[in-house]
Amino acid sequence: MNESEVYDKVVELIKPYAKNQDALASISTESNILEDLEVNSARLVDIVLAFEDDFDIEVEDDDADAIITIGDAVKLICKQLG
Amino acid sequence: MPLSSHDRTSLNLQKAISYCLLLILDPIVRGLFYYYFRFSVYGGSERHKQIRDKYAEIRRTHSGPLLICTNHLTYIDSLIQAVILSSTWGYLSHPSGLAWNLPERKNFYHKLLYRIICYSGRCIPVERGAAPAEAKKVTQNMLHVLRHDGIISIFPEGKRSRDGRVDDKDFSYGVGQLLNEIPEAHVLCVYMRGTKDGGFAHFPEKGESYYMEMEPFTPASDLKGRRRARDISTQIIARLTEMESQYFQNNQKSNTSQLEKQGATE
Repeated sequence: MNESEVYDKVVELIKPYAKNQDALASISTESNILEDLEVNSARLVDIVLAFEDDFDIEVEDDDADAIITIGDAVKLICKQLG
Repeated sequence: MPLSSHDRTSLNLQKAISYCLLLILDPIVRGLFYYYFRFSVYGGSERHKQIRDKYAEIRRTHSGPLLICTNHLTYIDSLIQAVILSSTWGYLSHPSGLAWNLPERKNFYHKLLYRIICYSGRCIPVERGAAPAEAKKVTQNMLHVLRHDGIISIFPEGKRSRDGRVDDKDFSYGVGQLLNEIPEAHVLCVYMRGTKDGGFAHFPEKGESYYMEMEPFTPASDLKGRRRARDISTQIIARLTEMESQYFQNNQKSNTSQLEKQGATE
């Protein structure tokens, strides 16, 4: 899976939890998941679990804490996928 | 990340100060509860005694860490719960008996008076969406309390329910994360609601009468890590939802029987 495919999948997984639909229209790797997309912080756990399930990876707590933007998530997943 | 000795000392000092101030603050809070707000316990003094006896019995049989998991509707739910669950003497005779609370910082820490009240009332302020390092520090404080057989009053929903019903869709997994770390902690599910205007509000209306039901609950999960936290939190929320359904069923029955009585006398 290349970076672009990972990005598309990440966006697809985050979309249901984003409260700011306008921000979704202009989403990019720079988009802050909590502040721009207005994802509830409690839902970040669900998103990380969705990453684990869909990409068949395991995300450590410290790595999960470091996910701030869409780009952070893509980078982490690509690193895990090798 | 272990709690620093400074933080440990701060928490222990806060606990000691809050205990010393109980004799002054507790009667003030109870005075406000009964005479200014004219709050009461639904079911009268006999029901109130049953609730206190049940809570005292639960603490007698388990003096270790306890998480009181309550539905959340108004800013002062913790205070109301504390007044209902035990007497001044009950808290004085058991220094750990007064539960620690986890108020949202932005709601209570902008005024000095509120800060003093929160400090004296054993509060650990939390910040929704805080940076991971800050959130971890707050969690470590909570874990310290539990590791020393303390009681934490937590709202598993993570926020006040906007529609007045237990939010079983968009809730926090904080309670599950605490139980992952302290699996020996017991859980006490509490459903509390004003029977007159009960529902989402900043502050309850004066003259409110509080229904309260509590049940020890043992969540179980074979999962690990954050999946376990989610599973356990979901179970606790499900239990609270059941307790809420029971409340509304009973309330409906009592309303129906009242209407029937009225009909019979007309």
